[in-house]
Amino acid sequence: MNLPTIFSITESEIDLDDLLAKITLTSTGAAAIFTGMVRGVTSRDNPHETVFLEYEAYVPMAESKMKQVADEIRERWPVIEGIALVQRVGRLYPKTPTVLIACTAAHRDTGVFDAARYGIDRLKEIVPVWKKEVGPNGEEWVEGDYIPKPGE
Amino acid sequence: MNHIKLLFFATIRDRAGTKSLELEIPADLTIRGLKDKLCADYPNLKESMHSVLITINREYAFDEAVVPSNAEIALFPPVSGG
Repeated sequence: MNLPTIFSITESEIDLDDLLAKITLTSTGAAAIFTGMVRGVTSRDNPHETVFLEYEAYVPMAESKMKQVADEIRERWPVIEGIALVQRVGRLYPKTPTVLIACTAAHRDTGVFDAARYGIDRLKEIVPVWKKEVGPNGEEWVEGDYIPKPGE
Repeated sequence: MNHIKLLFFATIRDRAGTKSLELEIPADLTIRGLKDKLCADYPNLKESMHSVLITINREYAFDEAVVPSNAEIALFPPVSGG
C-alpha cells in the first residue's frame, strides 16, 4: 500500500488543513499533530524577549533527513498511516508556526502520539536547520547539542 | 588531486565569511586533514571546530573518512531547527 509521506522545507505559511487532508486515508480515525511556533517571551532558563527568528536550512540534506525521520517512524510504529513533516524557513515573528509534524493512524491508542513526539525530537537532532535569534539587544545563533552518530 | 565543493552554514558561514567554495585536495585527504587545512586557511574557524558537524554528500561524516572526488562537503554547527 502506498502510504502518504510529506516532507518539505518551505518559505510559505504552513497550511495544517491542507497537510491533514493529504495524510488522511479512508481508514484514518486519528491524527497527532505537533507544531512549534516562535515564542516572543521566554520565562524558563534564560528569560528573554524575541523580536524574530531567522531560519536557514541545508535544503536538499534537510529534506532527505526528514524522509529518514519518517522512515524511522514507520519502522517503530508500523500502524502509522500518513506522516507530514514541514519546516518553515526565513524570518518568522512571534506566534508564527515554524514546524509541523503530523502522524495519522486508525485509532488514537496505536502509538500515534508517541510517533509524532519521536518525529519532532528526531527532527531537532538530525535535520540540518538553524535559527538566529534577534532580540531587543542584539542577535545570536541558537546552537543545538546533539552530535549525530555514524549511520544517522 | 580531487576537486570538492564546500558549503558553510550558520555560525560557520559567518566565521568563514563565505557560503561556499571549491577546492583541490590530495586524493587521500581525510575529514580530519580537511579540518586542519580549513583552520590554517580560515583561522576564524578554529574555535568552531570542536563542535562542527561535517557531511559528505549529505550524510554525516567523521574524522577518519576519506573525502571522495567531486564530494559536496558541508560544515555546520549542531542543528537547531524546529
